[in-house]
Amino acid sequence: MEVLTVTLNPALDREIYIDNFEINKLHRLRSLERTRMSPGGKGINVSIALAKLGIPSIAMGILGGYVGRVVLEELRKIDKRITTNFVHIDGETRENIAIIDEVNDTITEINGPGPVVSKEDVDHFLRRYRMSLSRANCVVISGSIPIGVDEGIYAQLSGMAKERNVCVFMEATNALLTKAIKQNCPDVVKPDLRGEQVVLDQKLEEFEDYVEAAEEIINYGAKLAVLSYKIKNDIVATKEGVWLISMTVPLEESHLLGSGDAYVAGMVYHALRKKWDLLEMAKFGFSAAVAVTRRKSKEMPSIEDIEAERNSFTVERVK
Amino acid sequence: MMVYDISAVFEDETVERVIHILSKQSVSGIPVVDDNMKVVGFISENDIIKAAVPSYFMLLQSASFIPDTNQLIKNLSRIKDKPISEFMSKPPITVNENDPLITAADLLIRHGLKTLPVIDKNSRLVGIIRRIDVLRGVFEGKEEL
Repeated sequence: MEVLTVTLNPALDREIYIDNFEINKLHRLRSLERTRMSPGGKGINVSIALAKLGIPSIAMGILGGYVGRVVLEELRKIDKRITTNFVHIDGETRENIAIIDEVNDTITEINGPGPVVSKEDVDHFLRRYRMSLSRANCVVISGSIPIGVDEGIYAQLSGMAKERNVCVFMEATNALLTKAIKQNCPDVVKPDLRGEQVVLDQKLEEFEDYVEAAEEIINYGAKLAVLSYKIKNDIVATKEGVWLISMTVPLEESHLLGSGDAYVAGMVYHALRKKWDLLEMAKFGFSAAVAVTRRKSKEMPSIEDIEAERNSFTVERVK
Repeated sequence: MMVYDISAVFEDETVERVIHILSKQSVSGIPVVDDNMKVVGFISENDIIKAAVPSYFMLLQSASFIPDTNQLIKNLSRIKDKPISEFMSKPPITVNENDPLITAADLLIRHGLKTLPVIDKNSRLVGIIRRIDVLRGVFEGKEEL
């Protein structure tokens, strides 16, 4: 097994398609096709995307209750390339709801907080994680954490992987990511900027702020930093320089669901199956993210679909 | 047919913790592994029950012969903090990932088991196969695990 994905706060994702969605109004779905249920959480999404690209992975994390069992059963049905290894707890796994309005090109997301996790269950997870690292070349740690789990856990997971020379990809929000970057910097860092544009506790406003933040992440020891800039662009930094990747084709913003996870999966695929070439990894990840936006649901693209997007963006060196 | 799930416990985990894990996962047994994920045993609810009831009880056909159910509770309390290595089935009965389905069926029937750990050539856990998976496989005409 080459890849281990960690989803500490998985979810049952529900996509609901409502044209002309309005708050404070009753919406009736015309058919079952307007709603879709699937296992989710960023690490799980990466496992699903990798399976589609032919790469086996171990999906790890914490599940609980009835919703947790549904997530596990649905995940097992997707692909035998996904091996599961979840710690089961007393609480209930969360549900994430996305209301997609294709007429107005909007997406409204409501993500649950997840269960409360005891220290005993976290310790159990950490022991299983350490064991699973013995079978991995690369670990993807991404998404939020449930209540009761210390914010330093991503730093701890990254440190445990690096001790065993396992490459670490991480996508997370500021609080989790900052501790990890400062204590045990992952190899590939992709800040989750969907909510607030904050990296290393600094608010990002101007283009230069993004470039400086990307460079700072590299200075902490990351090999590659990828920062989303105004949705359609990415700032990509390595030790060699900084680049701006810009999408040149129209973007359907209501189809953005899952694009970040496809991006990470694309980078992992390129690193494992093609070449550990950092800029090329970012380009392949960007292509995967663009490919996801071509379809309505968060369904992951095939290699052919990803390759077909290589001319959908430009790459410009900015530093 | 097999389930690609590597949920497992370690030899030094307590009986109480394992009962909690079996209950939360809604499974009747779970593989026991070492730090390299090699399967070293298998612990089932049956193993724990056997450890908690008087040895002669397993020979009887009816629970009505038990003089005092408090004895069961007392015995469970006595072993709850003990490591499962003392009660697990070892060496474990396993099936290799490249074995045919019929091998798994044979082992499950012959040893009266509900679940078998599936291992790779290095004895590392890669999944499990349950009775229902074998039945489904046979029904669907599958020959491989």
